[in-house]
Amino acid sequence: MRRAGVLCLTPLLVAACGKLEGFGGPAPPLASFDIVFHGDLALLRPPGVTDEHSLRVGLVWGAQWLTEPFCVLPAESGDAAAVIAAGCRDPFGFVPAAVSVSVPIAVDVPTTLTLFQLPAADVMVGDVTSRIAYGSLVVFDDRDDSGTLELSRPHRAPSGGRQEDFQTGGPDSRDIIYGASFVTMTEHDQRIAYREGLFDPLSAFYPRAGCEPEPPRGFSVLAAGGFSEAAGLASALSGQLPPEDPSTCMESAPVDATITIDARPPPEVQEVGCDERTDDSSVRYREPPTYAPDLANRTVACAHLPTFDTGTGSPASGLIQFVVSGRSFERCKGLTHYTLRGCREDVNCLVPDWDFTANPPTWWPPCGQ
Amino acid sequence: MLRDLAVVVTALALTASAAWADEARRPVDDEWPVQSTGPLAVDAGLVLALPATWQTGLSSGIGAGVTRGRRFAWGVRGSWSTATESSLVWTVSHDDFRLRGVAVLQQPAGRGVFALRLGLGPTFIYEHRTRNQGARAGLTGSDLENSALATFPGADLEGVVTLHVFGRWSLTVSGGPTAIIADGTLHGGWTGQLGAGWQP
Repeated sequence: MRRAGVLCLTPLLVAACGKLEGFGGPAPPLASFDIVFHGDLALLRPPGVTDEHSLRVGLVWGAQWLTEPFCVLPAESGDAAAVIAAGCRDPFGFVPAAVSVSVPIAVDVPTTLTLFQLPAADVMVGDVTSRIAYGSLVVFDDRDDSGTLELSRPHRAPSGGRQEDFQTGGPDSRDIIYGASFVTMTEHDQRIAYREGLFDPLSAFYPRAGCEPEPPRGFSVLAAGGFSEAAGLASALSGQLPPEDPSTCMESAPVDATITIDARPPPEVQEVGCDERTDDSSVRYREPPTYAPDLANRTVACAHLPTFDTGTGSPASGLIQFVVSGRSFERCKGLTHYTLRGCREDVNCLVPDWDFTANPPTWWPPCGQ
Repeated sequence: MLRDLAVVVTALALTASAAWADEARRPVDDEWPVQSTGPLAVDAGLVLALPATWQTGLSSGIGAGVTRGRRFAWGVRGSWSTATESSLVWTVSHDDFRLRGVAVLQQPAGRGVFALRLGLGPTFIYEHRTRNQGARAGLTGSDLENSALATFPGADLEGVVTLHVFGRWSLTVSGGPTAIIADGTLHGGWTGQLGAGWQP
Protein backbone atom coordinates (compact mmCIF):
# COMPACT_ATOMS: atom_id res chain seq x y z
CA MET A 1 0.00 0.00 0.00
CA ARG A 2 2.74 2.42 0.99
CA ARG A 3 4.72 1.51 -2.12
CA ALA A 4 1.70 2.25 -4.35
CA GLY A 5 1.32 5.67 -2.81
CA VAL A 6 4.94 6.48 -3.46
CA LEU A 7 4.59 5.38 -7.04
CA CYS A 8 1.62 7.71 -7.54
CA LEU A 9 3.41 10.65 -6.04
CA THR A 10 6.63 10.18 -7.98
CA PRO A 11 5.30 11.68 -11.22
CA LEU A 12 4.31 14.80 -9.35
CA LEU A 13 7.93 15.44 -8.59
CA VAL A 14 9.32 14.98 -12.05
CA ALA A 15 6.58 15.23 -14.65
CA ALA A 16 4.93 18.05 -16.48
CA CYS A 17 1.53 16.63 -17.33
CA GLY A 18 0.37 19.59 -19.37
CA LYS A 19 1.87 22.18 -21.68
CA LEU A 20 1.67 25.76 -20.52
CA GLU A 21 1.50 28.26 -23.35
CA GLY A 22 1.74 31.44 -21.34
CA PHE A 23 1.70 34.35 -23.73
CA GLY A 24 3.10 32.28 -26.57
CA GLY A 25 1.58 29.99 -29.10
CA PRO A 26 -0.49 30.91 -32.11
CA ALA A 27 -3.21 33.48 -31.59
CA PRO A 28 -6.60 32.39 -32.89
CA PRO A 29 -7.71 34.73 -35.67
CA LEU A 30 -10.71 36.90 -34.92
CA ALA A 31 -12.06 36.50 -38.44
CA SER A 32 -10.99 35.20 -41.84
CA PHE A 33 -12.32 36.18 -45.22
CA ASP A 34 -12.06 34.19 -48.43
CA ILE A 35 -11.43 36.37 -51.45
CA VAL A 36 -11.23 35.76 -55.18
CA PHE A 37 -10.03 38.36 -57.64
CA HIS A 38 -10.98 38.07 -61.30
CA GLY A 39 -9.92 40.02 -64.35
CA ASP A 40 -7.23 40.69 -66.89
CA LEU A 41 -4.98 43.35 -65.46
CA ALA A 42 -2.97 43.66 -68.67
CA LEU A 43 -5.88 45.49 -70.20
CA LEU A 44 -6.30 47.80 -67.24
CA ARG A 45 -2.81 48.98 -66.41
CA PRO A 46 -2.24 52.71 -66.48
CA PRO A 47 0.01 54.07 -69.20
CA GLY A 48 3.63 53.31 -68.51
CA VAL A 49 2.91 50.34 -66.26
CA THR A 50 3.90 47.03 -67.81
CA ASP A 51 3.39 44.56 -64.98
CA GLU A 52 2.18 44.04 -61.47
CA HIS A 53 4.85 44.50 -58.89
CA SER A 54 3.15 42.98 -55.86
CA LEU A 55 -0.57 42.39 -56.05
CA ARG A 56 -2.22 42.46 -52.65
CA VAL A 57 -5.66 42.69 -51.14
CA GLY A 58 -6.16 44.81 -48.07
CA LEU A 59 -9.00 45.60 -45.72
CA VAL A 60 -9.82 49.30 -45.58
CA TRP A 61 -12.24 50.52 -42.93
CA GLY A 62 -14.65 53.19 -44.06
CA ALA A 63 -15.06 56.72 -42.78
CA GLN A 64 -18.26 58.55 -42.12
CA TRP A 65 -18.02 61.30 -44.68
CA LEU A 66 -20.31 63.97 -46.00
CA THR A 67 -19.62 65.77 -49.20
CA GLU A 68 -19.56 69.56 -49.34
CA PRO A 69 -22.68 71.45 -50.44
CA PHE A 70 -21.13 72.79 -53.63
CA CYS A 71 -20.88 69.22 -54.94
CA VAL A 72 -24.49 68.21 -54.45
CA LEU A 73 -26.44 71.41 -55.01
CA PRO A 74 -27.53 72.12 -58.57
CA ALA A 75 -24.73 73.75 -60.51
CA GLU A 76 -25.44 77.42 -61.22
CA SER A 77 -23.52 77.41 -64.50
CA GLY A 78 -21.85 75.19 -67.00
CA ASP A 79 -18.47 76.12 -65.61
CA ALA A 80 -19.58 75.17 -62.11
CA ALA A 81 -20.89 71.85 -63.42
CA ALA A 82 -17.53 71.22 -65.02
CA VAL A 83 -15.75 71.95 -61.76
CA ILE A 84 -18.11 69.61 -59.92
CA ALA A 85 -17.39 66.88 -62.43
CA ALA A 86 -13.65 67.41 -62.21
CA GLY A 87 -13.26 68.09 -58.51
CA CYS A 88 -16.02 66.39 -56.57
CA ARG A 89 -15.74 62.76 -55.60
CA ASP A 90 -18.74 60.45 -55.69
CA PRO A 91 -20.95 61.63 -52.81
CA PHE A 92 -22.05 58.03 -52.24
CA GLY A 93 -18.61 56.51 -52.63
CA PHE A 94 -16.65 54.60 -50.07
CA VAL A 95 -14.24 56.86 -48.19
CA PRO A 96 -11.36 55.23 -46.36
CA ALA A 97 -10.63 55.90 -42.73
CA ALA A 98 -7.88 53.41 -41.95
CA VAL A 99 -6.03 50.67 -43.75
CA SER A 100 -5.91 47.37 -41.92
CA VAL A 101 -4.11 44.17 -42.86
CA SER A 102 -3.31 43.05 -46.37
CA VAL A 103 -2.12 39.81 -47.94
CA PRO A 104 -0.77 38.83 -51.35
CA ILE A 105 -3.33 37.81 -53.92
CA ALA A 106 -3.20 36.49 -57.46
CA VAL A 107 -5.80 36.65 -60.20
CA ASP A 108 -8.30 33.79 -60.02
CA VAL A 109 -6.57 32.23 -57.03
CA PRO A 110 -8.58 32.19 -53.81
CA THR A 111 -6.82 33.75 -50.87
CA THR A 112 -7.67 34.26 -47.24
CA LEU A 113 -7.32 37.47 -45.32
CA THR A 114 -7.13 36.93 -41.59
CA LEU A 115 -7.80 39.51 -38.90
CA PHE A 116 -6.08 39.37 -35.56
CA GLN A 117 -7.27 42.76 -34.36
CA LEU A 118 -10.68 44.31 -34.08
CA PRO A 119 -11.30 47.60 -35.83
CA ALA A 120 -10.30 50.49 -33.63
CA ALA A 121 -12.93 52.68 -32.05
CA ASP A 122 -12.12 55.54 -34.40
CA VAL A 123 -13.49 53.63 -37.39
CA MET A 124 -16.64 52.53 -35.62
CA VAL A 125 -19.68 54.76 -35.89
CA GLY A 126 -22.06 55.01 -32.96
CA ASP A 127 -21.65 54.93 -29.22
CA VAL A 128 -20.27 52.09 -27.13
CA THR A 129 -23.66 50.40 -26.88
CA SER A 130 -24.40 50.54 -30.59
CA ARG A 131 -21.66 50.93 -33.13
CA ILE A 132 -20.59 49.46 -36.40
CA ALA A 133 -17.68 49.53 -38.83
CA TYR A 134 -17.79 48.80 -42.53
CA GLY A 135 -14.82 47.84 -44.61
CA SER A 136 -13.96 47.37 -48.24
CA LEU A 137 -11.50 44.81 -49.54
CA VAL A 138 -9.22 46.63 -51.93
CA VAL A 139 -6.98 44.92 -54.48
CA PHE A 140 -3.90 46.97 -55.24
CA ASP A 141 -0.48 46.71 -56.75
CA ASP A 142 1.93 47.53 -53.97
CA ARG A 143 4.34 49.48 -56.14
CA ASP A 144 6.35 50.83 -53.23
CA ASP A 145 6.77 47.46 -51.51
CA SER A 146 5.48 48.82 -48.24
CA GLY A 147 3.23 45.82 -47.70
CA THR A 148 0.21 48.00 -47.25
CA LEU A 149 -1.97 50.40 -49.19
CA GLU A 150 -0.93 54.00 -48.87
CA LEU A 151 -3.81 56.42 -49.08
CA SER A 152 -3.65 59.60 -51.09
CA ARG A 153 -5.21 62.98 -50.44
CA PRO A 154 -6.55 65.68 -52.71
CA HIS A 155 -4.06 68.45 -53.39
CA ARG A 156 -5.16 71.97 -52.74
CA ALA A 157 -4.15 74.87 -54.89
CA PRO A 158 -1.82 77.31 -53.11
CA SER A 159 -3.31 79.79 -50.68
CA GLY A 160 -2.28 83.28 -49.73
CA GLY A 161 -1.59 84.98 -46.44
CA ARG A 162 -0.10 82.84 -43.73
CA GLN A 163 -0.39 79.86 -46.04
CA GLU A 164 1.43 81.53 -48.94
CA ASP A 165 4.08 78.86 -48.90
CA PHE A 166 1.77 76.15 -47.68
CA GLN A 167 2.66 72.77 -49.03
CA THR A 168 -0.18 71.38 -51.08
CA GLY A 169 0.34 67.88 -49.78
CA GLY A 170 2.70 65.01 -50.35
CA PRO A 171 2.93 63.07 -53.56
CA ASP A 172 0.20 60.64 -54.51
CA SER A 173 0.55 57.06 -53.46
CA ARG A 174 2.34 54.90 -56.00
CA ASP A 175 0.04 51.98 -55.27
CA ILE A 176 -2.38 51.22 -58.09
CA ILE A 177 -5.87 50.12 -57.15
CA TYR A 178 -7.46 47.55 -59.45
CA GLY A 179 -10.60 46.65 -57.61
CA ALA A 180 -12.59 46.84 -54.42
CA SER A 181 -15.47 44.93 -52.95
CA PHE A 182 -17.19 48.14 -51.90
CA VAL A 183 -16.66 51.13 -54.18
CA THR A 184 -19.86 53.09 -53.88
CA MET A 185 -23.37 52.76 -52.56
CA THR A 186 -24.69 53.27 -56.10
CA GLU A 187 -23.27 49.92 -57.18
CA HIS A 188 -23.53 46.38 -55.93
CA ASP A 189 -21.16 45.92 -53.04
CA GLN A 190 -19.83 43.29 -50.72
CA ARG A 191 -18.63 44.82 -47.49
CA ILE A 192 -17.07 43.63 -44.28
CA ALA A 193 -19.11 44.58 -41.25
CA TYR A 194 -18.21 44.54 -37.61
CA ARG A 195 -20.94 45.36 -35.15
CA GLU A 196 -20.94 45.82 -31.39
CA GLY A 197 -24.09 46.24 -29.35
CA LEU A 198 -27.34 47.24 -30.92
CA PHE A 199 -27.89 48.18 -34.53
CA ASP A 200 -29.45 51.49 -35.46
CA PRO A 201 -31.50 50.95 -38.62
CA LEU A 202 -31.77 54.72 -39.09
CA SER A 203 -28.04 55.23 -39.22
CA ALA A 204 -26.92 56.86 -42.44
CA PHE A 205 -23.46 55.31 -42.22
CA TYR A 206 -23.30 53.44 -45.54
CA PRO A 207 -26.97 52.52 -45.10
CA ARG A 208 -28.61 49.37 -46.41
CA ALA A 209 -32.22 50.35 -45.84
CA GLY A 210 -34.56 47.56 -46.76
CA CYS A 211 -32.04 44.79 -46.22
CA GLU A 212 -33.09 42.22 -43.66
CA PRO A 213 -32.00 41.05 -41.21
CA GLU A 214 -29.78 43.61 -39.59
CA PRO A 215 -26.06 42.90 -39.48
CA PRO A 216 -25.20 40.33 -36.82
CA ARG A 217 -22.92 41.10 -33.93
CA GLY A 218 -19.27 40.55 -34.59
CA PHE A 219 -17.90 40.13 -38.07
CA SER A 220 -20.05 39.46 -41.11
CA VAL A 221 -20.07 39.86 -44.85
CA LEU A 222 -22.89 41.98 -46.21
CA ALA A 223 -24.01 42.69 -49.72
CA ALA A 224 -26.41 45.15 -51.26
CA GLY A 225 -27.39 45.94 -54.79
CA GLY A 226 -26.99 49.69 -54.52
CA PHE A 227 -29.30 52.55 -55.35
CA SER A 228 -29.27 55.21 -57.99
CA GLU A 229 -27.63 58.56 -57.34
CA ALA A 230 -30.95 60.29 -57.98
CA ALA A 231 -32.68 58.10 -55.43
CA GLY A 232 -29.92 58.76 -52.98
CA LEU A 233 -30.15 62.54 -53.35
CA ALA A 234 -33.95 62.49 -53.21
CA SER A 235 -33.86 60.42 -50.04
CA ALA A 236 -31.28 62.69 -48.47
CA LEU A 237 -33.40 65.77 -49.20
CA SER A 238 -36.43 64.12 -47.64
CA GLY A 239 -34.52 62.93 -44.60
CA GLN A 240 -34.91 59.29 -45.55
CA LEU A 241 -32.47 56.51 -46.26
CA PRO A 242 -32.34 55.37 -49.87
CA PRO A 243 -33.94 51.94 -50.11
CA GLU A 244 -32.12 48.88 -51.37
CA ASP A 245 -33.75 46.14 -53.35
CA PRO A 246 -34.15 43.39 -50.73
CA SER A 247 -33.54 40.72 -53.33
CA THR A 248 -29.99 42.01 -53.76
CA CYS A 249 -29.18 41.93 -50.07
CA MET A 250 -27.05 39.21 -48.59
CA GLU A 251 -25.66 38.55 -45.18
CA SER A 252 -23.39 35.74 -44.10
CA ALA A 253 -20.78 34.77 -41.60
CA PRO A 254 -17.20 35.27 -42.77
CA VAL A 255 -16.59 31.52 -43.03
CA ASP A 256 -19.61 31.08 -45.27
CA ALA A 257 -18.87 33.79 -47.78
CA THR A 258 -16.49 34.15 -50.66
CA ILE A 259 -15.92 37.75 -51.59
CA THR A 260 -15.51 38.24 -55.29
CA ILE A 261 -13.73 41.29 -56.61
CA ASP A 262 -13.63 42.11 -60.29
CA ALA A 263 -10.74 43.99 -61.81
CA ARG A 264 -11.61 47.47 -62.99
CA PRO A 265 -9.72 50.34 -64.56
CA PRO A 266 -7.87 52.21 -61.80
CA PRO A 267 -9.58 55.55 -62.53
CA GLU A 268 -12.93 53.92 -61.67
CA VAL A 269 -11.88 52.63 -58.28
CA GLN A 270 -8.94 54.71 -57.11
CA GLU A 271 -11.16 56.95 -55.00
CA VAL A 272 -11.43 54.16 -52.42
CA GLY A 273 -7.81 55.03 -51.68
CA CYS A 274 -8.45 58.74 -51.28
CA ASP A 275 -8.47 60.06 -47.75
CA GLU A 276 -10.35 63.25 -46.88
CA ARG A 277 -9.21 66.08 -44.62
CA THR A 278 -12.69 66.83 -43.37
CA ASP A 279 -15.66 64.53 -43.09
CA ASP A 280 -18.46 66.87 -42.04
CA SER A 281 -19.10 68.72 -45.33
CA SER A 282 -17.41 71.83 -43.98
CA VAL A 283 -15.49 73.98 -46.42
CA ARG A 284 -12.42 76.05 -45.73
CA TYR A 285 -12.46 79.12 -47.92
CA ARG A 286 -9.00 80.34 -48.67
CA GLU A 287 -7.25 83.60 -49.15
CA PRO A 288 -6.16 84.05 -52.74
CA PRO A 289 -2.39 84.11 -53.16
CA THR A 290 -0.63 87.25 -54.27
CA TYR A 291 0.64 85.63 -57.41
CA ALA A 292 -1.45 83.66 -59.84
CA PRO A 293 -1.68 79.98 -58.94
CA ASP A 294 -0.83 77.44 -61.58
CA LEU A 295 -4.19 76.65 -63.10
CA ALA A 296 -2.92 74.31 -65.78
CA ASN A 297 -4.86 71.01 -65.87
CA ARG A 298 -7.40 72.46 -63.47
CA THR A 299 -11.03 73.31 -64.03
CA VAL A 300 -12.20 76.62 -62.59
CA ALA A 301 -15.45 78.49 -62.12
CA CYS A 302 -16.94 81.44 -60.35
CA ALA A 303 -19.91 80.58 -58.19
CA HIS A 304 -22.01 81.93 -55.39
CA LEU A 305 -21.51 80.50 -51.95
CA PRO A 306 -24.06 77.79 -51.19
CA THR A 307 -26.99 79.52 -49.55
CA PHE A 308 -26.97 77.36 -46.41
CA ASP A 309 -23.26 77.87 -45.89
CA THR A 310 -23.50 81.37 -44.50
CA GLY A 311 -21.66 80.85 -41.22
CA THR A 312 -22.26 83.58 -38.68
CA GLY A 313 -22.72 86.38 -41.19
CA SER A 314 -26.41 85.93 -41.66
CA PRO A 315 -28.02 86.85 -43.99
CA ALA A 316 -26.19 85.13 -46.81
CA SER A 317 -23.12 86.84 -48.12
CA GLY A 318 -23.03 88.19 -51.61
CA LEU A 319 -19.51 86.89 -51.99
CA ILE A 320 -18.52 85.08 -55.12
CA GLN A 321 -16.08 82.24 -54.78
CA PHE A 322 -13.50 81.14 -57.28
CA VAL A 323 -13.53 77.36 -57.27
CA VAL A 324 -10.57 75.41 -58.56
CA SER A 325 -10.50 71.67 -59.08
CA GLY A 326 -7.50 69.46 -58.56
CA ARG A 327 -5.26 68.74 -61.52
CA SER A 328 -6.56 66.19 -63.95
CA PHE A 329 -3.65 63.80 -63.47
CA GLU A 330 -3.85 63.72 -59.71
CA ARG A 331 -5.11 60.62 -57.93
CA CYS A 332 -7.81 62.21 -55.81
CA LYS A 333 -10.45 64.72 -56.66
CA GLY A 334 -10.68 67.87 -54.63
CA LEU A 335 -11.62 71.53 -54.67
CA THR A 336 -10.00 74.74 -53.58
CA HIS A 337 -12.31 77.63 -52.75
CA TYR A 338 -10.97 81.19 -52.96
CA THR A 339 -12.85 84.22 -51.75
CA LEU A 340 -11.77 87.84 -51.71
CA ARG A 341 -12.92 88.27 -48.16
CA GLY A 342 -13.11 85.93 -45.23
CA CYS A 343 -11.53 84.18 -42.29
CA ARG A 344 -9.89 80.83 -41.93
CA GLU A 345 -12.79 79.35 -40.04
CA ASP A 346 -15.72 81.34 -41.38
CA VAL A 347 -16.03 82.92 -44.77
CA ASN A 348 -18.69 85.32 -43.50
CA CYS A 349 -16.89 86.43 -40.38
CA LEU A 350 -17.58 90.01 -39.28
CA VAL A 351 -13.91 90.96 -38.99
CA PRO A 352 -12.17 89.36 -41.93
CA ASP A 353 -8.64 87.99 -41.89
CA TRP A 354 -8.31 89.14 -45.47
CA ASP A 355 -10.31 91.51 -47.60
CA PHE A 356 -9.40 92.14 -51.23
CA THR A 357 -12.85 93.13 -52.35
CA ALA A 358 -11.68 96.64 -53.11
CA ASN A 359 -8.39 95.59 -54.62
CA PRO A 360 -8.42 92.02 -55.97
CA PRO A 361 -5.17 90.29 -56.98
CA THR A 362 -4.18 90.96 -60.55
CA TRP A 363 -4.90 87.36 -61.56
CA TRP A 364 -8.36 87.28 -60.00
CA PRO A 365 -10.89 86.38 -62.69
CA PRO A 366 -13.87 88.60 -63.47
CA CYS A 367 -16.27 86.97 -61.06
CA GLY A 368 -18.71 89.83 -60.86
CA GLN A 369 -17.02 91.47 -57.87
CA MET B 1 -5.45 71.42 58.58
CA LEU B 2 -5.09 72.02 54.86
CA ARG B 3 -1.38 71.38 55.12
CA ASP B 4 -2.01 68.00 56.69
CA LEU B 5 -4.47 67.10 53.96
CA ALA B 6 -1.94 67.98 51.22
CA VAL B 7 0.67 65.76 52.82
CA VAL B 8 -1.75 62.83 52.97
CA VAL B 9 -2.82 63.25 49.33
CA THR B 10 0.77 63.48 48.17
CA ALA B 11 1.68 60.37 50.09
CA LEU B 12 -1.23 58.45 48.62
CA ALA B 13 -0.34 59.61 45.13
CA LEU B 14 3.28 58.57 45.47
CA THR B 15 2.25 55.22 46.86
CA ALA B 16 -0.14 54.61 43.98
CA SER B 17 2.36 55.61 41.31
CA ALA B 18 4.99 53.38 42.89
CA ALA B 19 2.56 50.49 42.74
CA TRP B 20 1.84 51.19 39.06
CA ALA B 21 5.56 51.34 38.35
CA ASP B 22 6.06 47.98 39.98
CA GLU B 23 3.24 46.56 37.90
CA ALA B 24 4.69 48.05 34.66
CA ARG B 25 7.96 46.34 35.44
CA ARG B 26 6.30 42.91 35.50
CA PRO B 27 7.84 40.60 32.86
CA VAL B 28 5.91 40.36 29.60
CA ASP B 29 6.03 36.62 30.01
CA ASP B 30 3.84 37.09 33.06
CA GLU B 31 1.52 39.51 31.33
CA TRP B 32 1.30 37.54 28.06
CA PRO B 33 2.15 34.02 29.06
CA VAL B 34 3.21 31.62 26.37
CA GLN B 35 1.69 28.22 26.65
CA SER B 36 3.27 26.60 23.60
CA THR B 37 5.26 23.65 24.72
CA GLY B 38 4.40 20.88 22.31
CA PRO B 39 6.25 19.73 19.19
CA LEU B 40 3.36 20.40 16.82
CA ALA B 41 3.07 23.76 15.08
CA VAL B 42 0.47 24.93 12.63
CA ASP B 43 0.51 28.18 10.69
CA ALA B 44 -1.42 29.89 7.92
CA GLY B 45 -1.29 33.24 6.25
CA LEU B 46 -1.09 35.46 3.23
CA VAL B 47 1.33 34.39 0.51
CA LEU B 48 3.06 36.71 -1.92
CA ALA B 49 5.34 35.25 -4.55
CA LEU B 50 6.79 35.60 -7.97
CA PRO B 51 4.61 33.55 -10.35
CA ALA B 52 6.25 30.17 -10.72
CA THR B 53 6.96 30.28 -14.45
CA TRP B 54 6.98 34.03 -15.05
CA GLN B 55 9.70 36.47 -14.22
CA THR B 56 7.25 39.29 -13.74
CA GLY B 57 4.11 40.05 -11.80
CA LEU B 58 3.02 39.26 -8.29
CA SER B 59 1.16 36.15 -7.31
CA SER B 60 -0.91 36.43 -4.16
CA GLY B 61 -2.87 33.90 -2.18
CA ILE B 62 -2.88 31.88 0.97
CA GLY B 63 -0.71 29.19 2.45
CA ALA B 64 -0.63 26.88 5.45
CA GLY B 65 1.59 24.25 6.94
CA VAL B 66 2.11 21.92 9.82
CA THR B 67 5.39 20.78 11.36
CA ARG B 68 6.35 18.48 14.13
CA GLY B 69 9.59 18.51 16.02
CA ARG B 70 11.82 20.55 18.26
CA ARG B 71 15.18 21.76 17.01
CA PHE B 72 14.69 19.67 13.91
CA ALA B 73 11.16 19.44 12.62
CA TRP B 74 9.48 18.05 9.57
CA GLY B 75 6.09 18.60 8.05
CA VAL B 76 4.06 19.50 5.03
CA ARG B 77 3.01 22.80 3.56
CA GLY B 78 0.68 23.93 0.84
CA SER B 79 -0.13 27.21 -0.76
CA TRP B 80 -2.22 28.64 -3.54
CA SER B 81 -1.54 31.92 -5.21
CA THR B 82 -2.74 33.46 -8.42
CA ALA B 83 -1.55 36.10 -10.86
CA THR B 84 -3.02 37.55 -14.04
CA GLU B 85 -1.05 39.29 -16.74
CA SER B 86 -1.87 40.43 -20.26
CA SER B 87 -0.20 40.73 -23.61
CA LEU B 88 -1.62 42.21 -26.77
CA VAL B 89 -3.29 38.91 -27.59
CA TRP B 90 -3.79 37.04 -24.34
CA THR B 91 -4.93 37.56 -20.79
CA VAL B 92 -3.33 34.74 -18.83
CA SER B 93 -4.00 33.65 -15.26
CA HIS B 94 -1.72 31.29 -13.41
CA ASP B 95 -2.86 29.55 -10.26
CA ASP B 96 0.19 28.15 -8.52
CA PHE B 97 -0.40 25.30 -6.09
CA ARG B 98 2.71 24.46 -4.14
CA LEU B 99 2.84 21.28 -2.12
CA ARG B 100 5.98 20.78 -0.10
CA GLY B 101 7.41 18.35 2.30
CA VAL B 102 9.54 20.44 4.62
CA ALA B 103 12.47 19.97 6.91
CA VAL B 104 13.03 22.71 9.45
CA LEU B 105 16.02 23.59 11.55
CA GLN B 106 14.93 25.95 14.30
CA GLN B 107 16.46 27.80 17.22
CA PRO B 108 14.35 29.34 20.02
CA ALA B 109 15.36 32.79 21.18
CA GLY B 110 13.30 34.32 23.96
CA ARG B 111 9.68 34.42 22.82
CA GLY B 112 10.71 33.83 19.27
CA VAL B 113 11.99 31.08 17.08
CA PHE B 114 14.36 31.49 14.16
CA ALA B 115 14.23 28.74 11.60
CA LEU B 116 15.51 27.69 8.23
CA ARG B 117 12.97 25.72 6.23
CA LEU B 118 13.72 23.59 3.18
CA GLY B 119 10.76 22.42 1.14
CA LEU B 120 10.64 19.96 -1.71
CA GLY B 121 7.62 18.97 -3.75
CA PRO B 122 5.49 19.53 -6.78
CA THR B 123 4.18 22.83 -8.02
CA PHE B 124 0.93 22.54 -9.91
CA ILE B 125 0.19 25.39 -12.26
CA TYR B 126 -3.28 25.83 -13.63
CA GLU B 127 -3.20 28.16 -16.59
CA HIS B 128 -6.24 29.89 -18.02
CA ARG B 129 -5.89 31.95 -21.18
CA THR B 130 -8.47 34.26 -22.71
CA ARG B 131 -8.06 35.62 -26.22
CA ASN B 132 -8.25 39.37 -25.94
CA GLN B 133 -11.05 40.84 -28.08
CA GLY B 134 -12.26 37.30 -28.75
CA ALA B 135 -15.61 37.65 -27.04
CA ARG B 136 -16.30 40.88 -28.91
CA ALA B 137 -15.45 39.18 -32.17
CA GLY B 138 -17.75 36.26 -31.41
CA LEU B 139 -15.12 33.60 -30.81
CA THR B 140 -16.21 30.60 -28.81
CA GLY B 141 -14.73 27.45 -27.37
CA SER B 142 -11.00 26.92 -27.38
CA ASP B 143 -10.52 29.85 -29.74
CA LEU B 144 -11.80 32.14 -27.01
CA GLU B 145 -10.27 30.54 -23.95
CA ASN B 146 -8.28 27.50 -22.99
CA SER B 147 -6.64 26.06 -19.95
CA ALA B 148 -3.93 23.64 -19.01
CA LEU B 149 -2.53 22.05 -15.90
CA ALA B 150 1.13 21.32 -15.51
CA THR B 151 3.24 19.95 -12.71
CA PHE B 152 6.83 20.84 -12.03
CA PRO B 153 9.23 19.74 -9.32
CA GLY B 154 10.12 22.60 -7.05
CA ALA B 155 12.08 23.58 -3.97
CA ASP B 156 11.89 26.44 -1.49
CA LEU B 157 14.40 27.64 1.05
CA GLU B 158 12.86 30.03 3.52
CA GLY B 159 13.92 31.84 6.57
CA VAL B 160 11.20 31.76 9.22
CA VAL B 161 10.70 33.99 12.22
CA THR B 162 8.05 33.01 14.73
CA LEU B 163 7.14 35.31 17.59
CA HIS B 164 4.96 33.86 20.27
CA VAL B 165 2.39 36.44 21.15
CA PHE B 166 -0.07 35.03 23.62
CA GLY B 167 -1.07 31.62 24.78
CA ARG B 168 -0.66 29.23 21.90
CA TRP B 169 -0.74 31.90 19.22
CA SER B 170 2.17 33.35 17.35
CA LEU B 171 3.02 35.62 14.47
CA THR B 172 5.01 34.05 11.66
CA VAL B 173 6.95 35.65 8.86
CA SER B 174 8.81 33.67 6.26
CA GLY B 175 10.44 34.23 2.94
CA GLY B 176 13.14 33.11 0.62
CA PRO B 177 14.08 31.85 -2.80
CA THR B 178 12.18 29.24 -4.74
CA ALA B 179 12.94 27.24 -7.81
CA ILE B 180 11.13 24.93 -10.17
CA ILE B 181 12.37 22.93 -13.11
CA ALA B 182 10.25 23.63 -16.18
CA ASP B 183 11.04 22.60 -19.73
CA GLY B 184 14.42 21.40 -18.58
CA THR B 185 15.49 24.73 -17.18
CA LEU B 186 15.64 26.10 -13.70
CA HIS B 187 13.23 28.94 -12.98
CA GLY B 188 14.08 30.93 -9.91
CA GLY B 189 11.75 33.06 -7.88
CA TRP B 190 10.85 34.05 -4.41
CA THR B 191 8.04 33.56 -1.96
CA GLY B 192 6.95 35.08 1.30
CA GLN B 193 4.26 34.54 3.88
CA LEU B 194 2.87 36.58 6.72
CA GLY B 195 0.50 34.78 9.00
CA ALA B 196 -0.46 33.39 12.34
CA GLY B 197 0.70 30.23 14.04
CA TRP B 198 -0.73 27.97 16.61
CA GLN B 199 1.30 25.65 18.76
CA PRO B 200 -0.29 23.59 21.53
